Amino acid sequence: LWDMQAMDRGSALAQLRRGVIEYCVLALLRDGERYGFELVKLLGAAGVLASEGTIYPLLARLRGDGAVATTWRESSTGPPRRYYRLTADGRRALEEFSEDWRRFRDGVDGVLAGGSVP
Amino acid sequence: MTTATKSDELRTAYVADLRRAARGLPKARREELVAEIAEHLREALPVGADEAETRNALDRLGEPGQIVAEEYRRLDLTPVQGGPVEWIAVGMLLLGGLVIPVLGWVIGAVMLWTSRVWTRREKLVGTLIFPGGLGAMVYLVAFAAAGTAETCSSMSSPGGPTITHCTGGGSTASDVLHIVLAVALLVGPILTAVYLARRIRRPAV
Repeated sequence: LWDMQAMDRGSALAQLRRGVIEYCVLALLRDGERYGFELVKLLGAAGVLASEGTIYPLLARLRGDGAVATTWRESSTGPPRRYYRLTADGRRALEEFSEDWRRFRDGVDGVLAGGSVP
Repeated sequence: MTTATKSDELRTAYVADLRRAARGLPKARREELVAEIAEHLREALPVGADEAETRNALDRLGEPGQIVAEEYRRLDLTPVQGGPVEWIAVGMLLLGGLVIPVLGWVIGAVMLWTSRVWTRREKLVGTLIFPGGLGAMVYLVAFAAAGTAETCSSMSSPGGPTITHCTGGGSTASDVLHIVLAVALLVGPILTAVYLARRIRRPAV
C-alpha cells in the first residue's frame, strides 16, 4: 500500500511536470533566443525536468504548434546550433498560462493549507 | 590513430538504442531526434570524458524508450502494438504452407501486409525469405528426393547377360547443393519469423 502511494505521488508529479514544462520553456525564451542544450541546463537547474531527453520531443511540439520559431546559427565550438525564439502566439500562450497558473497555485495552496479558498 | 574509448562506446550504444526505439516514428522526425540527442551529448560531454561522466549524462538524458514515448504523445500516435493477429500472421508465414499447401502461406502474407505493426522493409523481408515458409522446404526436399532416386530397369534376354540400366542418382556435387539449399530453406523462414515476432512488441510506453 505504501509503495502504491509513492507511485501515485510520482506519477502526479510527472503529470504536473508534463503540464507546465512547455510554458517553462516559453518563459525561458521571453527575453531572447536560446539553443536546445541551454534550455536543458536551465530547466534542469530549476528542477522541473524529469529526464533531459524529453525536452527534444517537446521543442518539436512547440515548433509544430508555432509557439516558437527557430534559426540555425554557427557556433564557435562545434556544429551549428538551432536557436529558439518566442513567436507572437507563443508569447500570448505564455501570458495566458501565467495568469491561469497564479490562480491555480493560489487555489491549491489554499486547499492544502486546510483553509477555505479565499 | 584514435581508439574508441569507453565513453564513445556508451554513447554509440545509447544512440543505437534510441534509433531502435524510434523505429516506429516517421523517418524524418526519427533522424532529427537522433541528431538532436547526439548533439546534446556532444554539448554535455567534454572531449575525453570518462566513463562515470558519460554514464551520468546518459542517466540524466533518460531511457531512450522514455524519450520516444514523449514523441508518441506529441504526435498523438499510439505506438502500434501487435496482438494475436500478428502472432497468427507470423505462424501462418512459417507453418501455414505445411497445413494448407500454398494457400496457408498466402493467408500469412496477406495478414503481414495488412498489419500496421511492421514497416515496409520488414514486410518485404517477411515475404521474400522465403515464399512458402517451411512448406517450401518440405516440398522442395520431397521433390529433390524424388528426382534423385535411382531408378533401374533390368533387361535380360534369354541366354544373354542381364543388362541393368540406371537413371537418376545425384552426383556428390548436387547432393551438397541440395543439403545447403535445404538448410537455407529451413533456417531462413525461422530467422524471419523471429525477426518479425521481435517487432510485434514496439517500444514500451
